[in-house]
Amino acid sequence: MPPLRPKPAPRLRLRLYVAGNAPNSLHAIANLTALCDQHFPSAHHIEIVDLLTHPQRALADGIIVTPTLVKLSPAPVQHVVGSLSDATHVLRALGGS
Amino acid sequence: MIREAAPHARPLARRLAEAEETIAALLSREIDAVVDTPSQTPVLLSIAQKALRASEERYRRIVETTDEGISIVDADGIITFANRQVAEMLGYTVEELIGTSIYRCIGAAETANAERRLQQSERGISEEHEVTYLRKDGTELWVMLRTTPIHDADGRHMGTLGMMTDRTHRRAAEEALRKSEAQYRQIVEATTDGIIKTDQTLTIVFVNRQLADMLGYEPAEMIGRSLYSIIGSGGKEIADESLRSRQLGLHGMVDTTYRHKDGTEVSVNIAGSALSDGDGAFTGALGIVRNVTAQKKMQSQLMVSDRMASVGMLAAGVAHEINNPLAAVIANLDFIVESMSVAPGHPSPSAPARDASWILDDIRSPLEEARDAAQRVRFIVRDLKVFSRSPDHEQRHPVDVQPILESSLRMAWNEIRHRARVVTQFDAVPAIDANEARLGQVFLNLLVNAAQALPEGQAERHEVRVSTRVEGDRVVIEVGDTGPGIPPEVLPRIFDAFFTTKAVGVGTGLGLAISHRIVADMGGTLTVQSTQGQGTVFRVALPIASMTPVALPTDAPPATVHGRRGKILLVDDEPTIVRVAQRILATEHEVVATVSAREALARCAGGQRFDLILCDLMMPDMTGMDLHRELARIAPEQANRMIFLTGGAFTPQARTFLADPPKEYIEKPFDAANLRAIVHRHLRSMTPDPAPPSAPQ
Repeated sequence: MPPLRPKPAPRLRLRLYVAGNAPNSLHAIANLTALCDQHFPSAHHIEIVDLLTHPQRALADGIIVTPTLVKLSPAPVQHVVGSLSDATHVLRALGGS
Repeated sequence: MIREAAPHARPLARRLAEAEETIAALLSREIDAVVDTPSQTPVLLSIAQKALRASEERYRRIVETTDEGISIVDADGIITFANRQVAEMLGYTVEELIGTSIYRCIGAAETANAERRLQQSERGISEEHEVTYLRKDGTELWVMLRTTPIHDADGRHMGTLGMMTDRTHRRAAEEALRKSEAQYRQIVEATTDGIIKTDQTLTIVFVNRQLADMLGYEPAEMIGRSLYSIIGSGGKEIADESLRSRQLGLHGMVDTTYRHKDGTEVSVNIAGSALSDGDGAFTGALGIVRNVTAQKKMQSQLMVSDRMASVGMLAAGVAHEINNPLAAVIANLDFIVESMSVAPGHPSPSAPARDASWILDDIRSPLEEARDAAQRVRFIVRDLKVFSRSPDHEQRHPVDVQPILESSLRMAWNEIRHRARVVTQFDAVPAIDANEARLGQVFLNLLVNAAQALPEGQAERHEVRVSTRVEGDRVVIEVGDTGPGIPPEVLPRIFDAFFTTKAVGVGTGLGLAISHRIVADMGGTLTVQSTQGQGTVFRVALPIASMTPVALPTDAPPATVHGRRGKILLVDDEPTIVRVAQRILATEHEVVATVSAREALARCAGGQRFDLILCDLMMPDMTGMDLHRELARIAPEQANRMIFLTGGAFTPQARTFLADPPKEYIEKPFDAANLRAIVHRHLRSMTPDPAPPSAPQ
């Protein structure tokens, strides 16, 4: 029987849509970075998309407000809207439950 | 989520949860921006921008739906925004306007004003002006323009917001109003009548040029004055009464007087009305004022000319009346002269000498006849005087009607006697308030009219009836005839001026009109009643005088009195008067006589003193008035001893002289007894002269 090795945690892929330096966008970036560093220190990748620079991305990804956090993987894809100040709520979404 | 959704429903549940989250985030203000996709290109809008866009949308709607034209012009005058209304007003499209200089829409005359407005805006000043723009087709657009500066968030001036309201229609209305006002003003200024308007306190608020000219003011001087300040004496009651009746809604004219700036009175006829507001409250008075001073003067001239005509017409009759007694005087005096020439010491072949006593008996009777005849002449002349009083001698005083009627009858006698008998019925009536000469004129007119209504040569068949009686508070005088009567169609016009049924040259056509006016002026009425075939009666009713008549100087000589002997100076330019007066007075007094006032003055200046100076009033060279004035200066007590002789032909100056202060005078002709009595009376009433003693007693 092969030895039981802890299954490596799936890599967490996140994308945060923001609007330039707008206050809630800055809050969202800060909150998300802190959260991931604390709970997923080595297994996360965050892509930040500024819709002011790339408005077409909003259309492609179906984003209607900023800031919006999208958990791309592991599945299922999850959206969180807002400044991400409620850590519990964000963790639950990221936990894939 | 209370329970796990079925696997196929999981994505949907997730989307719902996300939507809930989105809404929650929006509500908790955790959203920065919303993605808008107005076209294929998505636009990211911040929440603030989104709100601005919404509010801009609202403003845009307002800007496009308002009736006002709204535009924004930058500092260089370039139109950066214009709504549809501005474009329509100016006749351009919005696209044509934006980017265009505002000066393209402004006439040359307005350019400077437009520049100034933009400068004011840069200084932060909002303004409101009436402005004329040029439409694309070159016509003028008249707008009310409000300009407001626009600043950015940092306070930099961005341009000027202009809001314009089209006033072209309003201006047309105002233009029409102005034209109509101008029309009224033209009427008010062009009319020859004066126009005056007051407020409810009777303060003058408007007068036209004519009214101001009428009273010698500038129009501006009169505004703010009380109406009463320009009303003449006695006019206040008339004005009050008139205003009362106007306020009751009565219309009509009133004759009164206004006071000229120089203090003289101006006769006016006023058509007035009371002004009231919507509730009927009195708000002022409006008067159309006509100056009738000239008309009044004309009327008075007409009255004089009528009187002249009356007197002229009667002159022949009067001459006849005078000739009869005058013939008796001359014939009797001739007879006496002849008798004297055959008196003793003057033998003549035709008349043997007779004794003196017989001659005296012989001439007594012709002398008395001559005197009686002369007396008759005197009465006729006195009657004439009733009618020859100066027309400006208009004072009214209580007078007895009957003597005036009798004078008038004598004057008209020559007209009447060939046509009718005169039947008089004079009741004792109280005095009336009237002017003697004017009343005589009325009676004479009526009597002559009555006579002329009758054919000549049938005196026995016709009557002129004259009667007086009292009716209530009036004295009624009736003058009737038994002529054919006045046709009914003519009767209403009988008192119209220049209306006459008489042949040309017979009447002036003024007699009855003027009589009517005279009687009305005296507060009375003149009416007519006529029955065809039976005759006509004119009826004068005049108010009884409130005062008893002043006793007119009587000619009846007072009982002969013998006073002291006096020294009398007699001055008259008519030598016959001087001689006869000297003859009458010299039997009792020492008389110094002269035909020159200068000689009289020289005597007094030389120290002579007189108890009495009898002096003619009117003399060529130096008059009695001149003498009085000179004496008053050099010998006042001698001036006080003057008694004036007058023939009655008074000038206004002479009348004033005699009346103020009152002076003694004797009317010519005087008879011997009369003259003696007056002299005695005055000598008695005067203290003996203290100065150089007069003639020895």
